[in-house]
Amino acid sequence: MASRTEAIAAALPPGDSWSLPPETPRSVALGRIARGNPVGVLALILVVAFCVLGVAQVISHDFFDTTLAPYDPQDIHAEIQLQGPSWEHPFGTNQRGNDMFSRVLAGARISFLIGLMAVTLGFIPGALLGIISGYSQRWLDYVIQRSAEAWSAFPVIFLYLALITAFGRGLQTIAIVIIISAVFGGSRVLRAVALVAKQNDYVEASRSVGASETRILFRHIVPNVMPIIIVGASSVFAISVLTESALSFLGIGVDPGTPSWGIDLFEGLPNARFFPHLVVFPGIAISLVVLGFNLLGDTLRDVLDPRLRGRLG
Amino acid sequence: MWRYALRRLAFLPLIILAVSIITFVLLRVLPDQDPAVLMAGQGASPEQIDAIHEQLGLDDPIVVQYITWAKGVARGDMGETYFGRRDIADEIVRRFPASAELMVLSLIISVIIGVSFGVLSAVMRNSLIDYLMRFFAVLGQSVPDFFLLILLIIIPSIIWNYAAPIGGYVAPWEDPWRNARIYVPPSMILGIGGAAGIMRLQRTTMLEVLNSDYVRTARAKGLASWVVIMGHAFRNTLAPLVTVVGTSFTAIFAGSVIAESVMSIDGLGVFFLNSALQRDFPVVQFLVLYTATVVIVVNLIVDLSYAVIDPRVRYR
Repeated sequence: MASRTEAIAAALPPGDSWSLPPETPRSVALGRIARGNPVGVLALILVVAFCVLGVAQVISHDFFDTTLAPYDPQDIHAEIQLQGPSWEHPFGTNQRGNDMFSRVLAGARISFLIGLMAVTLGFIPGALLGIISGYSQRWLDYVIQRSAEAWSAFPVIFLYLALITAFGRGLQTIAIVIIISAVFGGSRVLRAVALVAKQNDYVEASRSVGASETRILFRHIVPNVMPIIIVGASSVFAISVLTESALSFLGIGVDPGTPSWGIDLFEGLPNARFFPHLVVFPGIAISLVVLGFNLLGDTLRDVLDPRLRGRLG
Repeated sequence: MWRYALRRLAFLPLIILAVSIITFVLLRVLPDQDPAVLMAGQGASPEQIDAIHEQLGLDDPIVVQYITWAKGVARGDMGETYFGRRDIADEIVRRFPASAELMVLSLIISVIIGVSFGVLSAVMRNSLIDYLMRFFAVLGQSVPDFFLLILLIIIPSIIWNYAAPIGGYVAPWEDPWRNARIYVPPSMILGIGGAAGIMRLQRTTMLEVLNSDYVRTARAKGLASWVVIMGHAFRNTLAPLVTVVGTSFTAIFAGSVIAESVMSIDGLGVFFLNSALQRDFPVVQFLVLYTATVVIVVNLIVDLSYAVIDPRVRYR
């Protein structure tokens, strides 16, 4: 795309000699935002580090059948069980002699997968559904809104308990509950936003120049509510990571064999009084990831808010 | 308003009926999730499993099973647990006070902390206190309550060799000290989690109201600043506050399962959890109905309180 300066220069008669002040380059603008939001930068680093770790664990586990960690997180070594942190095992070892540092690294896989599924299969389709239903406001809107209300009124954990009684436990059941919650969560938030967005003058303006409803929806409404989708995705990721770890902690989540931070806490609890390292490191891992996504969401909300956009140059 | 409340309550049986049918069918739809297999134990013969089916009535057509069960519930007979053949009504009544106290205490704590921090944080915007409180709120939303509960157990145990008393429910009027030692610490943790959401919303709405014209007018009249803050500004943040308190209640309801399980409190949440793992159908069926009723009634109370708070809201 031609820059603003070039576009104006092209529109001017040739020979005119004047110039606009130079545009602020994007990198400079981003640097300015970063300096104004040190907490947001920290959050971004946490989130990026976690996502890199998550992708690495998914690739190593699901494609190469190994774990990217100094030790195997599952192998039983009775001779080194329940050791405190040391140079060899910085997070200590658990009751089976697994290296806790390796288990914490490996546990990123399930948290990352759950968060990713919740956002891509749940939140984003739900957000689109919400925008469409808020924009068109027909019977579809009514059905979606009433179902969303019914689903979200019920605490997720009770729904999940009812579902595992019916279908048994495991990653599939967790994924179903988390994805449906994310669909309804996304549709509720984005519907409210779409209801406001459709009142804007630019919608009326594009309609009056003959734009189709689909075009208005996807070229005008969706880009305008994008900041809210991004912020929402960040918070849905955080909630999903929390939910999975809570269920696994209760012993009703993923299979006990899968390395998961929630399972580490569940297994570490009986010995936690004498070996606090069993619960402290997985607990900090969950807290940091959720904190990262929550803070990132908050920062993005501040940065992307259209009312503040003038500052970005 | 009362007519509106009655009409909403009239829907309750209908919703309960629908929920009960859905639960009932869902539980029985997958044949490989058979409670009889669990009950018979490993290495049971098919005859033993059939005998258990017969005994529990699981061989009857699903409609017959449902009608038998629903008739019982309508008469106040919830049936017996599959495991141990205990009367479900007795088990519920025995566990209810512990869960109820945990939830009510948590809700009170979360409202007190959430509202006071939210108001202070808005009034002292951009001060050090505001930053500290907002940081506290983000932490409260991020650090999982089960992690905090574990720390709550192990830290006093490591430092003072202290453990909270366990055992049956003791009412606060019988032994207030023992009761407080069991229920106050976990309620604080659940309450802090709930307070985070309340605080953030309270801060936002309070800031909005503080910028409004009527607050400026009140200040211009020369009213004391606490009169303006509490009488004019705070009153007008009550409606959104009630909504978020309703949402916090749902979160605390869910959190109570975790708190009961970590703190070894024998409440309804743990009962639900264990029954779900054992596929104890009658217990799960009843507890789903119980949860649905509580959620619906709480939502109704939230809706009705709008009319009490804001005279402009009228229900017909």
